[in-house]
Amino acid sequence: MFEALTKFWRSDDVKPVQHGFEDLPLVPIEEILGINMRNALIAKYNPRIAIERARDKVAAKVALEAQGIACTGTVAVIDDHQKLNAFKPTRDMPDSWAIKPARGSQGDGILLAVRREGDVWYKGSGTPLTETDVMHHIQKVVDGGFSGDTASEDAALIEPLIIADPSLADLVPEGLPDLRVICLHDEPLMAMLRLPTNASDGKANLHQRAIGAGVDLVTGRITRALVRGESITHHPDTGTKLIGYQVPGWDRVLELASKCGPAIGLGYSGSDIVLDKNDGPLIIEVNAHPGIEIQNICQLGLKAQMAAVGEDFK
Amino acid sequence: MYSDLINQFRRIRERATPQVKRPFYIGLGVGFALAVLVALGLANTETFFAMPSSFDGKATSDVVWGLKPSNLLMVLPLGAFLVVLARSFVGLKAFGLFTPMLIALAFLQIGPIMGPVVLGSSVLAGMLMTPHLLKLRMTRVGFLGVLIASIVLVLVALQMILDTELQVDAFPVIVCALVVERWWRQWEKDGAKEAAMQAFNTFMISLVIQFVMVSHIALMLIEWSPLLMPAFTAVAIAILGRYRGLRLTEIKRFAPIWLERRRAARELDEQLPDGIDEDRRVGAPDTRKSQTDDEMPEPSLGLPDHIPIDALERGPPHERDLAGIAPGSDTIQPNSGSQFAARFGASSKPPTNKTWVIGSAEDV
Repeated sequence: MFEALTKFWRSDDVKPVQHGFEDLPLVPIEEILGINMRNALIAKYNPRIAIERARDKVAAKVALEAQGIACTGTVAVIDDHQKLNAFKPTRDMPDSWAIKPARGSQGDGILLAVRREGDVWYKGSGTPLTETDVMHHIQKVVDGGFSGDTASEDAALIEPLIIADPSLADLVPEGLPDLRVICLHDEPLMAMLRLPTNASDGKANLHQRAIGAGVDLVTGRITRALVRGESITHHPDTGTKLIGYQVPGWDRVLELASKCGPAIGLGYSGSDIVLDKNDGPLIIEVNAHPGIEIQNICQLGLKAQMAAVGEDFK
Repeated sequence: MYSDLINQFRRIRERATPQVKRPFYIGLGVGFALAVLVALGLANTETFFAMPSSFDGKATSDVVWGLKPSNLLMVLPLGAFLVVLARSFVGLKAFGLFTPMLIALAFLQIGPIMGPVVLGSSVLAGMLMTPHLLKLRMTRVGFLGVLIASIVLVLVALQMILDTELQVDAFPVIVCALVVERWWRQWEKDGAKEAAMQAFNTFMISLVIQFVMVSHIALMLIEWSPLLMPAFTAVAIAILGRYRGLRLTEIKRFAPIWLERRRAARELDEQLPDGIDEDRRVGAPDTRKSQTDDEMPEPSLGLPDHIPIDALERGPPHERDLAGIAPGSDTIQPNSGSQFAARFGASSKPPTNKTWVIGSAEDV
């Protein structure tokens, strides 16, 4: 009758027999990568010189093409006033192009022309660009007007305009969708597709209400799509279905992305990839400080993904 | 009536993973310590409204808080420590790295009420001037130079209007000009809300730092030995600076991941029959087979119900079937060529002043 009373200490004596078939105790892995941990990873894997190389689009392009990685094409690189004076847009520029500052960030100072009529180009919004407009913009880029606080001079990178893969272009009303693949060394960890909307003004920037769509690494299909934290299944502007969309040439995308970090010297990198109509996947940029919002979009923790490929967090 | 709330909190606490719990507890601890220190600082404040000219020559910080001007340097490391806390534990975004600390130092020298007034008016003046300055199309250095001059103008005007002994020379004019510039960039990039949020954060952090700097504990440490405060904060920052966990604001940011996963798990639970807590069949092939499945299908007799027709003999498919759209839906047809067509006013955004972007031919 005292069994109930003595149960407290007796229960310690009776240990269940271990026979090797029990489940291992579930250790909840810390799955989410916070910005503190990301910074520590960057300090660990991304050397200063590689970060500088990634930040300079021209240097990054040189390093990538040296490894045979397909990048967006180049029309011209204007890095001083001598070259600027020798440059004549009507003679040297194709019908559609993009001018980018080599050290710009977050799309500042990027000028796009989609078509040409005579000596006048037109932006996507229909605004005409005369030769003097174009020259003035290039000059502003070369003077470092878009290159952050510290840079005094910069290079203007002129590229032919990317024409998106038709199946991808059909998803969006305007603008160029791009893929972001996060890699640790040469292992792709997570991928998302950024789709511009009318609200984002054609820019594939998540802050500006572009759609972030999580892409399954194995199959290359969109698993879920988010706009500003709201889950959606169809594009709000075109009405096309996003969930289940198969990114064309997915294996090639992963292969490209996994080569990018090592080519530039980055251990932890985020590669921005576009799918060109003719050339397939092309690298536009490699980020040394990729954002962590991708975790919310893919519903996966980057830390867990890294642990899965063997990263040891201490 | 609070039992529901308490129960809810308890449930949330039970469900939370250690990765969420730890930063939450740390944040709670930091918040509590800060609240105590700020309360101490507030209690230590002798006067809020007195003007410096009534202090007969003594420094404002000495009269209001008993902090000697020679000791102002000593509280700087404490400010740096708080900035580290706010950034890597709480995750508050502010303009600049140590801007709040410098502003707090200026507050100490100007006064608890006059400090924010001076800051507010000079930033406001800069804000009002910026759109007009941008029209002049100066270089960045020129723009900042004019901004500095105008902020100084406001400061001197304030000194003349309010009190000639107001110590506005301690005000970090250049930091202020940079804050105004950053405000504008943020506004352009992420909109007014985000910029206002950051400005508010900067202001609140500097207020907190100001009151922590003059709390009893801080003053006691400084009085004890001038070496104690810098050494103590250096060691504390070195220890806390190694923190690699989640920030408090990141719990909110990534909460959807945990919440959605939990919801998915709950939905899975509901599909299971009563009395079974976990689904052990996950991942394993379903080996259960009913007897009826094994039976051979009955051989059909007579005419087949489906007669194959040659594809050529069929009628052409309906237009709708080809397009794959439900009848009556007015979705926009995908058109990959449209990216090259001219669009006028498609973004329906009001024309904003974009500093560095060519908006029209007149801008050039």
